Amino acid sequence: MSNNRVSRRQFLSYTLTGVGGFMAAGMLMPMLRFAIDPVLQSHAGGNFIKTEHKIADITEKPVKVDLKFEQVDAWYKSEVTNVAWVFKQGDQIVALSPVCKHLGCMVDWGSDSTHPDQFFCSCHGGRYEKNGNNVKGTPPLGPLDEYEVKEEDGYLSLGPIRANTLVK
Amino acid sequence: MYFNASDVTSFMAQKEFIDTAIVPLVSVDLTPEKMKQSGTEADFLLSLTSFIEQQFKGRLLLMPPFSSSATLKNEDLPKQLEAQLHNAGFKHVFFITCDHFWTNIGEEVNVIWLPAIPLESMDRGVKNSILEDQLRQVIPMLSTKWAQI
Repeated sequence: MSNNRVSRRQFLSYTLTGVGGFMAAGMLMPMLRFAIDPVLQSHAGGNFIKTEHKIADITEKPVKVDLKFEQVDAWYKSEVTNVAWVFKQGDQIVALSPVCKHLGCMVDWGSDSTHPDQFFCSCHGGRYEKNGNNVKGTPPLGPLDEYEVKEEDGYLSLGPIRANTLVK
Repeated sequence: MYFNASDVTSFMAQKEFIDTAIVPLVSVDLTPEKMKQSGTEADFLLSLTSFIEQQFKGRLLLMPPFSSSATLKNEDLPKQLEAQLHNAGFKHVFFITCDHFWTNIGEEVNVIWLPAIPLESMDRGVKNSILEDQLRQVIPMLSTKWAQI
């Protein structure tokens, strides 16, 4: 037999320490998890949605890009398609929201033949410059909103809508 | 604008800009052979009118659909409704339907008739492009009326 035999006293104290340790861990772990939970939480609203549009295809001419996501209204789920007007300004990619700041119609690029280089709202003739700035004298009172833009594997991703940052 | 409390509030505040009412006329046919077709029509009409609403939100108010079954159809309904909508301050009133019954009163009120396209079997991309095509049919009718004023 080996020399260092475990005495009854030692055996009991080891067992008690072990079991006590497990119990303490069982109490402390959830506490710790709750304490650091806010750090681990992903930020709702900061979600970027990947579109089917390649970054390389974006030119200086604004094009319509579809943005699909699921919207939950109470128990009713529906897939919603939003649209963004996407173009390149220098090296920067710009995605403007198509919602007119007047009463919420959809604006169109260049559909007014007298102003081919402006966004045009067919409801009440509102016009915006390419950077989204509202043309004075037309109904809209503010510039078009802007999407946050990100690149993901060569494809364009659009984030939450924020106020226009291009218009100074 | 939809016919709900928040949109009607903005309509009340912006009456001079929102001068058009769109009324979907839905026919409910309950005979076994036509019931499915009737469902297709209702689905198509409501999808299309919400799409129109999305595009022209600031110019028009989309009324809740007026539905009628075979025996309840009455040519007076659109005429009376139009008169009441004019009284409420709408300059233009459009009725949209997939049912030929209403086309013969087209001379007195604006009726836009469109063929019902079965949307149920399509995936979303196709559905959207079909609705966009249909919208392109409707826009000229709206814009000619809007240009007349």
